[in-house]
Formats: sequence, structure tokens, C-alpha cells
Amino acid sequence: MTPAAPAPAPAVDPIRSARFRAEREAGWLRLDVLLRKAERDGTAALGYDEALELASLYRQAMNALSVARAISMDKALLTYLDALCARAYLVVYAPQESLRGLIGRLLVQGIPQAVRRSLPALLIGALAMVLGAVLGAVLFDVDHSWFYTFVPGGLADGRTPDASAAYLRSTLFDGGPGDHDGLGSFATFLFSHNTQIAILTFALGVFLTLPSFVLTFYNGLVLGAFWQMFASKGLGYELAGWLSIHGVTEIAAICIACAGGAQLGLAVLLPGDETRRDALRSRGRDAVKLMILAGLMLVCAAVLEGFFRQIVQTTEIRLAVGWGMGALWFAWLALAGREARA
Amino acid sequence: MKTYAPTGLPAWEARGLLRHTPPESVPITFRLSTLGARFGAQTLDILITYGGVLLAIIGLTWAGAFSWNGLITFYALLTFFMRVPYYILSELVWNGRTLGKRMVGIRVISLDGRRLTPHQIVARNLMKEVEVFLPLATLFGASTMDIWLGGALSAWMIATLLVPVFSKLNQRLGDMVAGTMVVDNPRPVLLPDLSAQAAARGYEFRAEHLDIYGRYELQTLEAILREPPKSPEARKRVSEVAQTIRKRISYDEDLPESREWDFLLEFYRQQREYLESRHLFGDARENKFHAATGGQG
Repeated sequence: MTPAAPAPAPAVDPIRSARFRAEREAGWLRLDVLLRKAERDGTAALGYDEALELASLYRQAMNALSVARAISMDKALLTYLDALCARAYLVVYAPQESLRGLIGRLLVQGIPQAVRRSLPALLIGALAMVLGAVLGAVLFDVDHSWFYTFVPGGLADGRTPDASAAYLRSTLFDGGPGDHDGLGSFATFLFSHNTQIAILTFALGVFLTLPSFVLTFYNGLVLGAFWQMFASKGLGYELAGWLSIHGVTEIAAICIACAGGAQLGLAVLLPGDETRRDALRSRGRDAVKLMILAGLMLVCAAVLEGFFRQIVQTTEIRLAVGWGMGALWFAWLALAGREARA
Repeated sequence: MKTYAPTGLPAWEARGLLRHTPPESVPITFRLSTLGARFGAQTLDILITYGGVLLAIIGLTWAGAFSWNGLITFYALLTFFMRVPYYILSELVWNGRTLGKRMVGIRVISLDGRRLTPHQIVARNLMKEVEVFLPLATLFGASTMDIWLGGALSAWMIATLLVPVFSKLNQRLGDMVAGTMVVDNPRPVLLPDLSAQAAARGYEFRAEHLDIYGRYELQTLEAILREPPKSPEARKRVSEVAQTIRKRISYDEDLPESREWDFLLEFYRQQREYLESRHLFGDARENKFHAATGGQG
């Protein structure tokens, strides 16, 4: 570091801390220039030499801050160095992973491993859905008016227990009186609706798992009632096809989101040896990955629902596509990212 | 992480300062963002995202690119990507700053002094859904709710909104899950060294003059000297300060008004040199009561 040019002829000797500053000021200003560049254009814009220089100037500034705290009482200097170091710290310790590497690692290792680690929570999610569906079906059998309690009017879209079998059939296959547009908008509605349900299910889990469970359970209720309504008109098989093509993916996604929420809730309920806050933090890692997975599956489900269900009109192929997707998900989650055992 | 009260700072100034220890182990200071700034950034983000969606929709309608049905699908997709993914991607790419945060000048940092991990960013923004968007959505849908559900929801909403008010580091639930906090962007401003401005002005202070004050008074004087007086009232205040100091340190020379500023500059320089060298010898003088407390060094 070259000493700065002497200050304009002071008649007295500069005091020790002023000399300290004069010797290092050029380095700080240079650091400031580099920081400005890195903040504006990203660290990738720095050349090799500049990156090296930045790292070394950052350490020098940190060192100067440490010394200045011991020898200088110039508050302006201390504040400046503090802020300069903080700013440099934020540039030097920025996330360095590339977006692509990040996503690759997440897909190959992160998500499948997280799923395999959180089997108990997944069980809770699946249980909520199945219990809800069974209860919905049974209640519908007992009294058809339960249907109106479970299913919001907008979602039912005319498909109520009072509708004729022919109308119900037409909603499952195109070309009948049920117009295409209505179904299309219903599909998108369901998509955004279910996405929000999934996110909610997850985020609410932090309040002791219960809201997640209740929401998933409620989703199961709607599903069960729907199923039983179609089944009572002899359309169970066709509905299975209509639902399967996207539903295998979509319902699994909601269960997974519920499992993510359950992870958070379990951390609060049963923190084990850690404090609750620490437990929340450590189990949050898996929970977040489960949620990303759920989001991914929901997007897939939306594509299936939006396009393939309208294109594919036979129940057999619908079943094959739906459960085929399910098998693919299962294979990915069960097999990917396993550590090679020696 | 402790809130950080640097010595010699009055309590009101030290509030909201945080000591953050990076891997170099030299503590640096961040200032916690105010709740107002965070609220402003959030509002800006919502305006930007939803405004962008709205503009895109209007543009597409105008261009006639989609049927009505297609527009609805497109809107659903856009709002999906404009919510959580927008916040995650922008905080990933700009290291803890969304567009709104950039404008307001605040950012997210990790509590542990290390770099922000992608996990932390994802976690805190997923929780944003329940803390920000859900209350907003229920607010708009509130008219269709019955009173019990509405009451329960608003109680819960208020509770979530109050979490950052009462948590020590103004953390919201998402910050707690992720181990992050929101601080002001540091803005370094290098001011000139006052001691270098003082050319010999003919004042010579002896040890008994310089033994009176401590670090706190010195830095208060520094703050005064950083703003040369412009109005007559300010000049009067400076003159009061100069005369008070002269009396307190029993400086026996007369001090005409024209020379008060020079006197203060010169006193600052010599006092600082004196205190700094005392400090090096282990005699830390925090303020003018150092003699009464027996000196802390």
C-alpha cells in the first residue's frame, strides 16, 4: 500500500490516528470503487485481478477496523469503516452457487433425500387425505345433502346430487352439452385453488400441525363426496379416469405439502433434545424441500389437467397416464440421490 | 446475536444496532430496519408484481393474443409465479434484496454471520404466504364470512402481524424459521479528518486542561465541528460551547468571539491526541466522570 500524498502542509505533525488513516485511505477508496462495481453489475463482472484485489482489500479493511477501534477516537472514521466493512462483507459473502447448479442439486439429491427422511410426516398427510375421503363418501351415502356442506358452490359447477347422470357424464368427456370453456376455466380455477391450498397447508403447519391436517382432511372430504356422488350414478370408473390423469399427481402434492406442514408442527410439538426454535430451524430444511416438490408436482398436474385431459378422452388411457405419472414420481423419489454403498 | 450497545453511545442511538460477527471475527455493525421501511418495501413489491401482471394482461388483451379463457389461464399462471417464486428468485439473485427492498435500501442477512443460503431464502418467503398474502386475501373476502370465522381469522391475522413488533430483532415468523433478519443497507460516507484541519493556531493545552473530558465529550465536540454554524443562532450556540469548555478546563487566556472556532478545532485535536495516547496506555476514559469512577483502565 502506498502512503497517500501528505495532507496540504499542516504546520503541526498529524496525530497518530490521523497518520494511520492517511496511510490506508487509498486502499479504502479503491475497495469502495470495486464494491460499487460488484454491486451494480454482480461479482461476475469483476476480472480475475479485481476479484483477488477485492478479497485482499476486504481483509485489510477488516484489519483496519479492528485496529481503529483500539487506537482512534474519530467517530466519523469508525462509522465509515464499520459501514464499509459491512458492505464489503455483503459482497464477499454473497451466495456463490449458480442458479443451475442449485436446481440440479436440489432435484438429484435434495428433494428425494428429504422425502425419504420424512416418512412419518408423509404418513400423517396421506392419513388425513384418506380419512377425509372415507368420511366424505360415507356421509354422502347417509345423506346426500352433506354434499352441499362440503363442496363450495363454485367448485361444484352444477355437478350436484340432483344433476342427471347424463349431465355428469358430459362433464367428464368433451363433446357433450357441457361446454369446453366451462371445464377449461374450472381446471384453471382448481389449479390456482389447489396451489393456494397446498401453500396454506404448508405454512399453517407451524401452528402445531393441526391446521394442515384439517385442511388436508377437508380436501379429502370434498374428494370423497364427489366420488361417491358419481359412483351412485354408476360413473365411478369414468370419474376415476377423469381424476387420475392429473389427480394422482395433484392429490399426492397436497399430501406432500401437508407433510411439510406437519414437519414444522412436529418440530414445535416434539422438539426432542433441541430448543423449539432450533428444532423448527433444522426440520424446516426438509419441510421446505417438500414444499418445493409439492409446487413442482402441482405445476405438472396443471399441465396434465389443462391439456391432456381435454386431448385424451378414453378412461383407460387417462388411467394409464395418471398412474404412469404416479409411478414416475415414486421412482424418482425412492431411487434418486441414494449414496452409493461400499 | 445480541443487540449491540457500543460504549459511549447514548441509549437512543444504540437502539437497533446489531453486532454481527463475520468469519473474520471482527464485529461489524448493522442497523435493524424499521418496521415502516419493511412495510414500504413489501407494499412496493406487491405493487410491482401485481402491476406487472396487470400490465401484461392489459397488453395481451389489447393485442388480442388470447381468448377470454386463455387470459384467465394466463392470469392464474402469472399470479402463481409472481408470488412466492418472485421473492425467492430476486432474493437469490440480488443477495437478499427484492426490487422493493432495493428501492427502500434494506436487505436480508443471515443471523449466523455466514452467507445467506438458498434454503433460508426459500423458507422465509414460503412463510410470507401465510403472513402477508393470506391476511390480504381474507381482507378482500371478509364480507362473505360469518362473524365467528371472521373474528377468529382476524384475531390470528393480528397476532401474526404483531410478531415482528414484539420479537427482539423485528423478525417475522418466516425470519425465525429461516434464521434471518432484515437490516438497512450500510452506506459508508468518508468525512475528512478534523484533526488534519487544525493548523497551529496558537493554543497550547497542558495536561491539566486535557484531563477533564473523556471520549463521549470528544465525540460530541466532533459532531458539533462537523457542521460549521451558518445562522446567528448556531453561531451563538457554538460560542456558548467554546466559553463553557474554556471555563470548565480553566483555560486562563481570553477568548474573543472571532477565534472561538479555531479554539474548538485546536482543542479537539489536542484532546483527541491526548485521549488516544492515554487509551494506548490502558487508561480508557469513557466520559468526564472517569476520575470519579476511578478510571476503568
